[in-house]
Amino acid sequence: MRRKMKKPPKLNLIPILDAIFIFIFFLLMSAQFIDIYEIGSDAPITSTSTQEMKKPPLNLTLKLNNNKIVVTTGLDENIYKEYTMSELAKLNEGLMELKKQNPKENSAIFKPASNFKYEKIVKVIDVTREINKKNVFITAVDKNNKKYPTKKLFDQIIFETMD
Amino acid sequence: MRRMFFNKKQRRSKEPMDIDITSLLDVLVILLVFLLKSYNASDLKLNLVKDLVVPKSDARILGHHAVIVQVDTNKKLYLNNEEIGLVSSNQEQETLLAALKELRAENQTREPAAKDEKKINLVFDQDIPYKVMKSIMHTSAMAGYTEFKLIVQGNY
Repeated sequence: MRRKMKKPPKLNLIPILDAIFIFIFFLLMSAQFIDIYEIGSDAPITSTSTQEMKKPPLNLTLKLNNNKIVVTTGLDENIYKEYTMSELAKLNEGLMELKKQNPKENSAIFKPASNFKYEKIVKVIDVTREINKKNVFITAVDKNNKKYPTKKLFDQIIFETMD
Repeated sequence: MRRMFFNKKQRRSKEPMDIDITSLLDVLVILLVFLLKSYNASDLKLNLVKDLVVPKSDARILGHHAVIVQVDTNKKLYLNNEEIGLVSSNQEQETLLAALKELRAENQTREPAAKDEKKINLVFDQDIPYKVMKSIMHTSAMAGYTEFKLIVQGNY
């Protein structure tokens, strides 16, 4: 007697197909095809505190004008270094040095010229906030004087919003 | 003969149709992977207005839901996607200030917890000069929105 050939059992894919369809609808509804991120910046606050500071603040200021970036420090705004817009990597290295010397500082004041474009400001912000080089970290100090490795430089950006 | 033909046809049509859905499943899986890759957990839903190109940045902090002010390349002002006028040459933007104050009052009545809401999402075109940015930030701060969130797009 000839044996009957056994047919391979068929998988029922319909339930999984239903689930995938629902998942796709959910993802399509919540999809955003541009990756949107934010850069935080606070409005400047004036302090009336008369308490004497142990160490004078770094007061890191970046003056942006035409193609030039002037980095100043201290309350007298002493010029630390000057860069051009094509030297953003060098600016990043310079800020790294400043961060090493002042590990507790994390704010930078931006003073762009009136006609300085937003796109350029964002580029300067990027090199001010973080170390651009891969696998390079520096040691920062938290409020409890604990040391930790970080890529962050001066991530609190303050814009000069008043003339 | 004719009868035989019809009988045969009838019999064939009674067989259940067998659709091969493997290829459809392949497509769906690819679509699923693509959508999962582009999925963004941010609660900020942003509808960019026409003539506005957001600058690219290395920032990786996801945006959050808050009041949205947009300024396009023609210096048109939008508050929560509604056009409210053009950016004036003054330091203080009167139209924006009035609209922001109105919006704050509305939000307060609807949601008392939003009383101390300080966050504001600022979406500027990449060619906007700092003078415009400064006046918008100044006006927002005057209206009580002092935590500026500059909206940028991922740099790849």
